[in-house]
Amino acid sequence: MAEIGNQRSAIRQQNHINDESQLSNFGSLKLNIGWLYPRQMSTYGDRGNVLTIWKRAKWRGIAVTVREIDLKERIDPTRFDLYFFGGGQDQSQKIVSEDLQSSKKEDLRKAARIGSVFLGICGGYQLLGKYYRPATEKELPGLGILDVVTVASNDRMIGNIVVEVNKKLDAASEKLMVGFENHSGKTFLGKKVLPMGRVVVGYGNNGQDRTEGAFQGNVFGCYLHGPVLPKNPSFTDLLLEKALERRYGKIELSTLDDDLEKKTHEVAIERAKNNR
Amino acid sequence: MKNDIIIPVDIRLLAAVISTKFLKTIIRISGGGATAAPGLLAEYIDPKALKKLGRYYDGALLVTGTNGKTTTARLIGNILKEAKIAYIHNREGSNLLRGLIGALAENVTLSNKTKKLALLETDELTIPAATNSIEPRAIVFNNLFRDQLDRYGEVDKIRKIWQKALLQLDPATTLVLNSDDHSVAHLGSSSKARVIYFGIEDDTFSLKKLPHASDFTNCIACGGQLRFDRVYLSHLGKYKCATCGLKRPKPDIYAENILLDEENGFSAKVATPKGSFDLKIGLPGIYNVYNSLAAVSAALALNINLTTIKKGLEGSPAAFGRTEKINLDGKKLFLGLVKNPSGFNEILRLLLSGHNDKYLLIIINDLIADGRDVSWLWDVDFEELFSKKEVRRIRVAGTRAADMALRLKYASTKAVPRIEENLEQALEVSIEEVPKGETLYVLPTYTALLSLKKILAEKGFGKPFWED
Repeated sequence: MAEIGNQRSAIRQQNHINDESQLSNFGSLKLNIGWLYPRQMSTYGDRGNVLTIWKRAKWRGIAVTVREIDLKERIDPTRFDLYFFGGGQDQSQKIVSEDLQSSKKEDLRKAARIGSVFLGICGGYQLLGKYYRPATEKELPGLGILDVVTVASNDRMIGNIVVEVNKKLDAASEKLMVGFENHSGKTFLGKKVLPMGRVVVGYGNNGQDRTEGAFQGNVFGCYLHGPVLPKNPSFTDLLLEKALERRYGKIELSTLDDDLEKKTHEVAIERAKNNR
Repeated sequence: MKNDIIIPVDIRLLAAVISTKFLKTIIRISGGGATAAPGLLAEYIDPKALKKLGRYYDGALLVTGTNGKTTTARLIGNILKEAKIAYIHNREGSNLLRGLIGALAENVTLSNKTKKLALLETDELTIPAATNSIEPRAIVFNNLFRDQLDRYGEVDKIRKIWQKALLQLDPATTLVLNSDDHSVAHLGSSSKARVIYFGIEDDTFSLKKLPHASDFTNCIACGGQLRFDRVYLSHLGKYKCATCGLKRPKPDIYAENILLDEENGFSAKVATPKGSFDLKIGLPGIYNVYNSLAAVSAALALNINLTTIKKGLEGSPAAFGRTEKINLDGKKLFLGLVKNPSGFNEILRLLLSGHNDKYLLIIINDLIADGRDVSWLWDVDFEELFSKKEVRRIRVAGTRAADMALRLKYASTKAVPRIEENLEQALEVSIEEVPKGETLYVLPTYTALLSLKKILAEKGFGKPFWED
């Protein structure tokens, strides 16, 4: 019964979407960002990703709200267009995994089903997957909206990383993505996901199969700190377009002056080659 | 025949000591500043060098924590000088195992007659090796923040490493703990060592909320969310776990009635179990209140009296480039080392406490000593910088100048900084555009600071750091 109820509200939501997509004025577009666990899961400058989506939307006249989602809070699955989920420490990851199971799992899974965009980095990426298995303690279950699993290892995969973008990812204008990886968990991809790219310099998902990141529908996860979005602006704009699509259909974003973003991107490639 | 005590000579150790001293001299003569190489050589010749060398010293005093190690160690050094206690100090910021060995080897006299105290600024991850090798009389734990995560890994792991290292200590060692930092305040709970706490008891400096770059906001004992009644900086303040009740220990040594005088320093009343005194010191910012309290506490652990402590502190110059002012042709140069979000936030807070125009040169390098990952720049609250109107010009330099510029662009598009490829030129143009009587604020990462010091020394300002 609950299942049917959910479907109905999903359909109602669809109608709602159609209404809003008829708005012709670009300036009245809205974007709601849900930032998962900023207290526990943001140790590597990952908030730069939230800042970047926010600013790049704002510069195009889109009204943005960012809502921090804490432990114990419940989520209305229709509310957010984009969820950001950063990396954290082991202890935080445990607390957060428990909280996902007890307070958020079903609603977030539903949000993924109705097309909300997710971006998970490092620990957040791992928890978008099925589970994270520590060396000695018991498995931490994730959301399972990415068909990946992660196991702890003794390898420290640390350094600048350059990835050749998967053509199916559709972030057309940049061939490479850059960032900094710092993980010991090894992530292995299942059949339902595609890698975000192939490692050119660095370790990637597991240091073995040369893949990095994973995506499945609108759910994206990767190990790229740096943070990833400021210096990979076409990936950011891809996420932005997908996030707006749910409410407004296909939208062509206006071009921004990205000279500085591109320069930073170039410097990161340079440093990766010379300072790994 | 003389009456010197003849000690059995350890050939290996002797070789290590002699070659260390020799190499040190060579490096000085050739004008280099490599401070780790001699210790590295000694470590290579005798892996047990630290333990053996420790016997020739009158105990050790270790100073650790993410921020403030150098400043705190220097403050303690000045107090020791005032107290006429002979000591040696790894002054050059070389605080890994090889640095400690280097300092002990270089200064050792292989006789038992005049043992000195070893004051050792110690890297966070070197604490286990140091406590294994030498019995410290006191260890100062100042704070723990996210810092160079590519090298140190997670802060919680460092805390656990510390906790484990302290298990073997006995009451002959005093742990000097910052009661306001949840991550270090409870380090003594499973150790037999004596514990004294220091902290701030002044509500006027509380921030309105926890900064984004706060690391310990969940209880280390039960994982519950901490409640903060006061936040002095990062996650330092008055906290309590709402779930298990673990709370901030009451500090034995504390500062109250604190008056911050912008970049010039601060004054405060310092209360201790042995009485209180008024302190006025030329080190600015809340973080230096903590450094001073840490030094007072360490000195008390060594039974130094309050008059001497006050005298030692008040005569202290700013530590090497941590925050330092240079007078240049009628213009002022303010140097402030930035290496992690908490430290950078505090430098910005200090800068914004004054109302003069702000000219900035930020230099971000990504060499190993700086941390190769520059992600941390996005955890710094640069937005605060643009909440006031006094910022006139920002230039950026260093191997990651572009990253810094991009971070500022996403804080405010009104002040997109200029990128300078060459550090020397960056410094020159930056100084040039500052009007007479005004200050250029230079904020470099560690290796950038070293290059900067060299450039300034060549221009005749200040000494290269190894002569410092």
